[in-house]
Amino acid sequence: MSGARRADAPLKLRGAAAYGTDLAAEGMLWGALVPSPIAHGRIRSIDLAPARALPGVVAIGADDLAGLRPKGAPPSETPIFPSEEVVYRAQPVAAVAAPTRALAREAARRVRIDLEPLEVWGSIDDLLPEWPEDGAPRTGPLNAHVHARHGDLEGAFGSADLVFAETYRTSGVHQVPLEPHACLAWVDGDRWTVETSTQTPFGCREDVASTLGIPESQLVVNGSWVGGAFGAKGSALLEPYALLLAKASGRPVKLQLSYPEEFQLGRSTLPSVIRIESAVRGRTVVGRRVRLVLDTGASLPGRDFTLGYSAGFLLGPYSIPAVEVEGYALRTHKPPFGPHRAPFVPQCTFAIESHTDHLARRLGLDPVEFRRASVWTEGSTTGLGQTVGPFGLDAALARASAIARAWREHLPPGHGIGIAGGFWSTGTGAGGEARLRLTPTELWIEQGEREIGSGSVIRGIAVGVEATLGLPPGTVRVAFLDTAHAPFDSGVFGSRTVGALGQAAEKAAEALRAELGRRCGRPEAESAKLTLRPGPDGLEVDLGDRRRPVRELLTAAELADGGLKVEGRHYGRSGTIDERRVLEGSFHPFNDFVGAAHVAEVAVDPEIGSVEVVRYAAIHDAGRVVDPVTARAGIEGGVAMGIGTALLEETQWGPDGRLENPSLLDYRLPTLAEVPRLEVEFIEGFPGAGPRGAKGLGEPPIVPVPAAIANAVFDAVGVPVFELPMTSERVARALKRL
Amino acid sequence: MGSFELVTPASEEEAIAWLARAPGGEAAVLAGGTDLLNDIEEHRITPRHLLSLRRLPWNRWNWIGPALEVGSTTPLVDLEYDPKVRAQFPGLVTAIEAVGSVALRSRATLGGNLGRSGSASDLIPLLLALDASAEIVGPKGVRTTPVDTLVVASRRPALGAGELIRSVRLPEPRPSAYLWQRIRPAQDVSHVGVAVAWSPADGRWRIAVGGVPPRAIRIHPEAAELPPRPSSPEREAAARRAAELLPLSTDLRATGEYRRHVVHALVLRAVGSVTAMREGSA
Repeated sequence: MSGARRADAPLKLRGAAAYGTDLAAEGMLWGALVPSPIAHGRIRSIDLAPARALPGVVAIGADDLAGLRPKGAPPSETPIFPSEEVVYRAQPVAAVAAPTRALAREAARRVRIDLEPLEVWGSIDDLLPEWPEDGAPRTGPLNAHVHARHGDLEGAFGSADLVFAETYRTSGVHQVPLEPHACLAWVDGDRWTVETSTQTPFGCREDVASTLGIPESQLVVNGSWVGGAFGAKGSALLEPYALLLAKASGRPVKLQLSYPEEFQLGRSTLPSVIRIESAVRGRTVVGRRVRLVLDTGASLPGRDFTLGYSAGFLLGPYSIPAVEVEGYALRTHKPPFGPHRAPFVPQCTFAIESHTDHLARRLGLDPVEFRRASVWTEGSTTGLGQTVGPFGLDAALARASAIARAWREHLPPGHGIGIAGGFWSTGTGAGGEARLRLTPTELWIEQGEREIGSGSVIRGIAVGVEATLGLPPGTVRVAFLDTAHAPFDSGVFGSRTVGALGQAAEKAAEALRAELGRRCGRPEAESAKLTLRPGPDGLEVDLGDRRRPVRELLTAAELADGGLKVEGRHYGRSGTIDERRVLEGSFHPFNDFVGAAHVAEVAVDPEIGSVEVVRYAAIHDAGRVVDPVTARAGIEGGVAMGIGTALLEETQWGPDGRLENPSLLDYRLPTLAEVPRLEVEFIEGFPGAGPRGAKGLGEPPIVPVPAAIANAVFDAVGVPVFELPMTSERVARALKRL
Repeated sequence: MGSFELVTPASEEEAIAWLARAPGGEAAVLAGGTDLLNDIEEHRITPRHLLSLRRLPWNRWNWIGPALEVGSTTPLVDLEYDPKVRAQFPGLVTAIEAVGSVALRSRATLGGNLGRSGSASDLIPLLLALDASAEIVGPKGVRTTPVDTLVVASRRPALGAGELIRSVRLPEPRPSAYLWQRIRPAQDVSHVGVAVAWSPADGRWRIAVGGVPPRAIRIHPEAAELPPRPSSPEREAAARRAAELLPLSTDLRATGEYRRHVVHALVLRAVGSVTAMREGSA
């Protein structure tokens, strides 16, 4: 199957695609959030009167909520405005709306906030002294705690030839969507509507409805084009405020974050400390303990799920007889933690794959062969007791090793080569539905996701439909409908779109094919051979022996109603873990097992510590590549983003809970100059759940990047770097140059 | 962005007269605007008037004997791609290439960079090592001042009311090098910039260091204490002194300790590179 032109490309090139930031309505007001000036404090008073004194300004605070939410609505689980304590800096304590954006900002500045400062936990280092290196915490504020173990750990560690223990640190990274969060809301009677830049229109509807206490049936979420998301736009953020301001003012209200606000209020990933201990007998890891201590700010949306999911990756894709994994989500006075592409798995992979290389070096073993001796293959059992499905990591590692050997033949002095493996589990367990609408001239997929830029919706879900019906690539069109009109879908996250919504669309295509067969008088068994094809006067059904125009097969009612509509649904089944191994909190089974092995070549300045990635290869277990151009582009973007996590990106938080670098000057994304020549290869033959055996590729490409680069630095200079990002100063310190 | 009035005088006299009359704190001078517009967009300043130098004939350069005189609104790319400038002032070209992107350098100007006097400027250390001077015009006429006395503080050059930088003069071609260190190689702010030049006229070395707040520092030729053809220990000693002379400044980009380490390493490399240039041309 070859790639097709992206249907959204002309719109975006012409500037005709309306993003959240482009949304506008006649008579709309601009909203602004009133930020808490400190990270932790008791509220004495919040006086909105000075804001309300400005012409045309509407201001709302905690006291106004009862009058704005529907009568009898249950209390909100997510606090809209705090009434007693602020728990992070810039937390919205009130909101205002005004005829201009400048006036809204001025009104926000005029709100008088009187707070009694309380002690600030600015970093997990404030809390870590209470967390002994090798044991359980004695005390400390937790957002979540998970714990699992299996096998004879005491025996493994007691009889080990070597216990190899390391501690890693990672910094916070922000998703940095170029388009900040933005939405436009209005309220008409009891019908609440919000247009917004979101990855999950239905998830947003659920979040907003529960926050505001309105029935989902009275709320419509209409997604705009999305200017980048990377996890940042997976749950509601501004929508409840915009809707409440719209309700209070009786006007449409636009709310959009400035970029410094995006950095401070967006839900980004926060720092961590990771401890790994391996018990080795001979050349084999016989026991492993891992601990993830994660700064989760004021709260951790999804709590156990988010923590257990990330911590589950920390054991690595290896069969080890005795394992223990523990995760602590610490509470600090930072904004709530949020998911960043493959949430926290690049960081966990950096730790476990660096550890694996360091251990191989200690044992005098080739790092790839060391991995391959215990890497999962289909039928292996994970540390949590799940049986591994088709999984191509071993094949990817073998290929990576061959590439590295070839590179090493011409390796200049000062350069190093590193390999890391990684894996991902697609979120295909979350369900979705798609509807096909066949008109005499076009075939549409009507659905409720939004294209976030990767092509997974506008191309990814179409390929299975095209293949099923024999249509040329690029002929099926994708319609983006609001939550009142689209069939339900969970949204774009977890690399699930192609695997889950793509399957729903493919099933709809199979049902459409059967229906067309029936209408042509063919028995069910024969309809599988039927195809659709563009003809001179619209679409035709090709029955092999003859053709019939689609126009003749539609009823008058269908023609009047926009076409023949057929639905398909996919509600996935996950594997199961062995719950007896879970001691506290929850861990989650993986769905499709998706593997990747990356090879990095770096040049390190051994005195200054600067690292340049000069060459890179990414080998991906893709199940089956259904759209080569889109697949390759996804890998390239993921690697570029991973280079940022590895070398550059870092939110710098002060002890007072202030974000010190909320700008693109001091928060450094990689530019093209930092992204090297990139080789991309796909491994097929380990099928996933998606159409034609496709696996999701949205998140896998970022997973091994920091680890591969760290291992290349280790190869170049011979000393490990235990902290992300590996800035030149950190590398110079690891080299003991200062 | 707030609204402002754009003033585009057609002559030097008109520009000076307008600027001298402009109410204090309400006017800003616009050359390339690549730095100024950030300040305006991020509300650090809210000027009511912008004086654009676009129409003044200051966007060209001339050779005056061995000296290069650069009009202050000359876009950096014009110097960057001139073969003779590349040959005669190699360090200057390296420093220009360190500024932003090609697109930005096609707007950014040498005079604007001096006028902003940023502590992290990649150009100022090199101008200091070349003993560059600025020609300044104002209500009281024309004066010439060394760049060292002009760039006294970030965003606040030593300019009087109504004064503008008309040109920058580089007195002689010198073997010179500029080396920088940043977190991100492309389009980032240098946390250390080291410029080294050797003067054929007096046989002395010049060393200047930027990126370290509060301003770029010129190390006095005597303090550099490098003989015309320094041995390896002499270079090492000079690099150590340069590192010790600097204030230790820690910020979000780097610790003072690391900056000192980098200054030491880069001075050593830059002196080595200039020595190689001299040997290559000898």
